[in-house]
Amino acid sequence: MAWTWFHRLASPPHIYRVAGRLTPWLAWPAAALIVAGLIGGLVLAPPDYQQGDGYRIIYVHAPSAWMSLLVYSTMAVAAAIGLIWRMKVAHAVAASCAPIGASFTFAALVTGSLWGAPMWGTYWQWDPRLTSELILLFLYFGYMGLRSAFDDVQRADRVSAVLAVVGVVNVPIIHYSVTWWNSLHQAPSVMRLGEPTMPPSMLVPLLMMLLGFTLFFGALLLVRVRGEVLSRERTASWIREALQP
Amino acid sequence: MSAFLDMGGYAAYVWPSYAVTLAVIALNIVWAQRLLKRSRKEALRRLTIGGTEA
Repeated sequence: MAWTWFHRLASPPHIYRVAGRLTPWLAWPAAALIVAGLIGGLVLAPPDYQQGDGYRIIYVHAPSAWMSLLVYSTMAVAAAIGLIWRMKVAHAVAASCAPIGASFTFAALVTGSLWGAPMWGTYWQWDPRLTSELILLFLYFGYMGLRSAFDDVQRADRVSAVLAVVGVVNVPIIHYSVTWWNSLHQAPSVMRLGEPTMPPSMLVPLLMMLLGFTLFFGALLLVRVRGEVLSRERTASWIREALQP
Repeated sequence: MSAFLDMGGYAAYVWPSYAVTLAVIALNIVWAQRLLKRSRKEALRRLTIGGTEA
C-alpha cells in the first residue's frame, strides 16, 4: 500500500530517531556557511557606493527577515496539515516554529531599525513593510500566547493551528508591500525576477547567509520537533526505547 | 583594524545589528536544547509513574 511508508515516516519513533541523526548534517553546514558569510560580508565585500559600510547590515537583516517569513510559512503549512489530517507530528512542527520565527522577526525589526536610522533618518516609520513585519511579530506572540492558554496539548494544537493558518495572509502582504505601496523600504534586490542587482562580491556572502540561516532553521526544527514529539507521546515502549541508549 | 571597527562611521549601527542577530542565533540553540532536555526528563518521569504499553 502506498500509504504505509507515509505512516511509518510520520510515526513518532521514526521522526524522533531520524531527526536526531539528521541534526548535525544541517547544523554544521549552517555554521560553516554563516561564518563564511560573516567574513565575506564584513571583510571581503566592497563598501557600497552610496551607503559605504553601512549597507553591511544587509548580511544580518535580510537573512533574519527571510527567516521571519520562511518560518511562518512552514508553521502555517504544518498547522494546516495537522488540522486536515489530524497528524500529531505536523502540530509538533508548527509548535516548534513559533519561538524561532518570533526571535528572527525581532532581529529583522531591530536590524532594520538600525539600518534605517542612518539611511532614512529615522528608527521607525509606520510604513507598509515595517508595519506588516511588526504584525508578523504579534502573530507569533499571539500564537504562543494562545498555546500557553491550554493545558491540553491536543487542544492547544488545534486552536493555535487555526490562528497560524489565518495569519498566513500577512506573508504575501509583507513580501509585496514594497511593490504595492510607496515604501521607504527598498525593493527586493535578490528575490526578484531577472538578475540580482548586486555584484557577486556582495551577493555571494548574502546567499551564503540566506542558505546558512535556512539550514540553521532546519537544525533547530529537528531538535525542537524531537522534544515536541516526545511531550505528545504516551506510548511507554518507544519512549523507553528512545531514551535508553 | 580600527578602520574595520569604525565601519566607515557606521559602527554604531552595524555592530549592534550583528550583535543582536548573533544573540538570537545563540539563544535559539540554547532554547532548542533546553526544550529537548526538558521533554526527555518529563518523558522519563512519566515512564516511572507508568504509561500505557503498546
